[in-house]
Amino acid sequence: MEIRFTLNGKPTVVDVPPDTTLLHLLRDYLDLTGTKCGCEIGECGACSVILDGEVVNSCLVLAPQVEGRQVITIEGIRGPDGGPNDLQEAFIEAGAIQCGFCTPGMVVAATVLLRKHGYPTREQIVEGISGNLCRCTGYQQIVEAIQMTVLRRAGLPGKEGLA
Amino acid sequence: MSELKSLGKPTRRVDALEKVLGTARYTHDLKIPGMLVAKVLRSPVPHAEIVKLDVTPALKVPGVVAAITSEDFVDHSNWGFPVKDDYMLAYKKVRYVGDPIAAVAAETEDAAEAGLRAIVLELKELPAVFDVHEALQPGAPILHEELAKAEAEEPTSGELEDAEFIEVHGKGNLSETLIVRQGDPLAKLAECDVVLDAAYSVPHQEHAYLETEAALAVPTADGGVTVYVGDQSPFITLSNLVMTLGMPGKVRVIQSPHIGGAFGGKSDMVYETAAQAAMLAIKSGRPVKLVTSREESMVASYKRDAMEMHYRLGATKDGRLRAAKIECWADSGAYASMTPFTSWRATIHAMGPYRYEDCHVDISCVYTNNGYSGAFRGFGNTEVTAASEQAIDELAEMCGMDPMDFRLKNCVELGDTLPFGQKLEYSVGLKQCLERVRKISDWDRKRAEYSRQPANQEVRRGIGVASFFHGISLGAEGLDFAEHTIRLGEGNKFEILTGLTDYGQGSRTVFCLIAAEVLGLPVERFQWMPCDTDVVHECGPTVASRSTILGGNATRLAAMRLLTQLYETAAMMMGCMVPEVRQEGEVFHGPGGRRVSLDEIITYARTHHIPLSAKARWEMPRIHWSFAQGRGVPYVAYHFGAQVAEVEVDRRTGVTKVLNIYAVHDVGKVVFPQGIRGQIIGGISQGLGYALMERVEFDKGYIQNPNFDTYLIPTAADMPIVTVEFVESELPFGPFGAKNVAEPSMVPTAPAILNAIYHATGRRIRHLPANLERVLLGYDLKDTVTTVCQIGVCERAKCEL
Repeated sequence: MEIRFTLNGKPTVVDVPPDTTLLHLLRDYLDLTGTKCGCEIGECGACSVILDGEVVNSCLVLAPQVEGRQVITIEGIRGPDGGPNDLQEAFIEAGAIQCGFCTPGMVVAATVLLRKHGYPTREQIVEGISGNLCRCTGYQQIVEAIQMTVLRRAGLPGKEGLA
Repeated sequence: MSELKSLGKPTRRVDALEKVLGTARYTHDLKIPGMLVAKVLRSPVPHAEIVKLDVTPALKVPGVVAAITSEDFVDHSNWGFPVKDDYMLAYKKVRYVGDPIAAVAAETEDAAEAGLRAIVLELKELPAVFDVHEALQPGAPILHEELAKAEAEEPTSGELEDAEFIEVHGKGNLSETLIVRQGDPLAKLAECDVVLDAAYSVPHQEHAYLETEAALAVPTADGGVTVYVGDQSPFITLSNLVMTLGMPGKVRVIQSPHIGGAFGGKSDMVYETAAQAAMLAIKSGRPVKLVTSREESMVASYKRDAMEMHYRLGATKDGRLRAAKIECWADSGAYASMTPFTSWRATIHAMGPYRYEDCHVDISCVYTNNGYSGAFRGFGNTEVTAASEQAIDELAEMCGMDPMDFRLKNCVELGDTLPFGQKLEYSVGLKQCLERVRKISDWDRKRAEYSRQPANQEVRRGIGVASFFHGISLGAEGLDFAEHTIRLGEGNKFEILTGLTDYGQGSRTVFCLIAAEVLGLPVERFQWMPCDTDVVHECGPTVASRSTILGGNATRLAAMRLLTQLYETAAMMMGCMVPEVRQEGEVFHGPGGRRVSLDEIITYARTHHIPLSAKARWEMPRIHWSFAQGRGVPYVAYHFGAQVAEVEVDRRTGVTKVLNIYAVHDVGKVVFPQGIRGQIIGGISQGLGYALMERVEFDKGYIQNPNFDTYLIPTAADMPIVTVEFVESELPFGPFGAKNVAEPSMVPTAPAILNAIYHATGRRIRHLPANLERVLLGYDLKDTVTTVCQIGVCERAKCEL
């Protein structure tokens, strides 16, 4: 069936079987492979995308459910020049990336977290990414990257430079 | 050594950008036209004879293009190292739930699944065994009859040669026993003032890499196959493919640019995945992609071995360690995989980094029908240290000593001899690690304060320590070398070619930093390359935390040779002698104010056909371990470290919250600060999971928790604040003094947490994980046997239980 929705700001039409998940629609039909498949039961968060402003596990969303709605994937999260935005830059600087497989989902979760809480506390940050599993980093550097972004967006120095 | 410009300085990961943008390609993401989807039929029972297996009906299913069994491979796809007891697809028997039996390739996933359902499979179930001790009883079901038979025919008299280590010489389900021998610990224990006698156990642990196993096999014009794969050791994948496909010279393995985690887990199971995909590609003449689902991965892949451990430690009443008698049983599961090697590493580290008079260690690797066990971060050391560092704490308490003081009194220092006869002659920073972690954790104040908590207080704090050592690289397991090339590539960048893979640990960045340091150039001048077995040299496996030392040294030597070429070319261009050339970053100065830039040198070299390319091989100093005598030099040197855990336990619920972990590690030299800190904190998260929540639950061979809803790993909310510091006792032959770090990071975490729980609650949990039930009740309701130590417990512990 034809699904019409807005993907990363662009009107998109895609023809998929109705039982296709949003995850497979993105990966298999649109070749947007930045969204990862880790468990397919909504536990790991590697497939996180933004649906109408909320983080969802795309493995738990059926394609027809996105009809007429707004979807943002990691490919739609960029700085003004098309490169990394300030949050992504902070991920690099803080050492929040190792194998990188959870990274797109983490960036998606952190993006929504920062939209919801202008100045999140450490607890709110931890809560905001606790639906995303990372087996490599131990999370601390991811929390630091988000804290760094919060401070910089507030015009405060943050922790300058690389970890 | 002159001041370092790149090493140890803040640097970003060289492959970070594409990962954070989501453009990094993993094996899961690879796609080529005409690609088929593969699925694998796996054993539904723990132990059975294959009575009938016919895949031809699958070929009649619309969309199915190829179907294979072990008959399609050379020697029925038999493979395995160090014991050749496994099959890419099962032959005659299946030995665990998830053992691969057949595979199909089809146009769609649905067709592939229909193909699997059409396969005719008749199994005759055999009695199975799930307990290491039962497996060793006479009359127990035997997993590998051929091996057991071959053993029985072996001469039993005479000394075992060292080389026989790699051959099975156990009996029945006993695949191997590894030993350490020094003196007569039983006689010494009888003389000791204080003796601890206790049993501990650790469960199977799942790697839980976020990207499951995957391979994409593409048939080539010459009848061979190219396999794109996310594995740890592409040359081992290659040799296994060549052996089982029977096509030397026609197989090429190309590593996917990015690999979604490994932790020791992307070996055997990935070799099988690659072989299955490759055979299907050959049979179908089409590209074939095989990706395992999470459940399939968790059921079929190997785990960290479960181990039962019996410790007897003796000391003088003033706290001087004298003797250790340690016996362990490792659950190898259905196949040997790396268990003989993990158990060997475990024997070396089982007594901890302390001075003893006498010491015996025996670790038996036992076949059972519980999945199968293999390599996982720490490689045996994680298992035994979970026991030994608790035992040390228990003994310290029996001596009435502070656990930190007890460790400082007994820890090995420069010039000491380890219990198997190795004198430590360099790079021993354990005492400094302990002293530093004592200070930064505010140990003495917190220990005293938490010891004074009123008996009726329900939410209690505790602080615990664990120290450890970890032998660098492969040690006496085998030849230990790496060979790297640095060559001029596109965009006037230098490409670093290596057979060592970066599955997230950061070795690409380490190699770029070392090359930059030696050549005096910016890191941006270097380009990492994924492994391709047709292009790079073999470097041995990417295991054992060996990349920085082996690959770092190979990079360092290749960079030195390349630097010579740059000087020579610069001298040629400026018409001067090489010693007259002086380098300043990217500018080379000659006499009389002459100068040429690196880009000019490169242009000149291209024009004049001067190959700016250098390769170098580095080999670890040779050592000798006698497997028969249990003595010798197992590793050339060791990583040392100590971690302190601070916990808060709610005695009413059993909830343990880890508040802080302080980690001080002797890494020789910090090369890539962001990377090394990441290794430590990441390792600690896996150790925290091991301590508190992770256990693969086998019920008669069936895994009860095959996905992340039931097999829990730490989330951000479970992690404490981790404080990391380093001691740099340089390794004389390490690159710029560097040692290993990846595996050691997780080794002491679990016992430090368990010691802290004991300090908080007075409850000693000798069986991991310390889940809610064990913290609350002292035992786990799911345990079939009581967790009260069977073998014998020290008197104090007995009363408590």
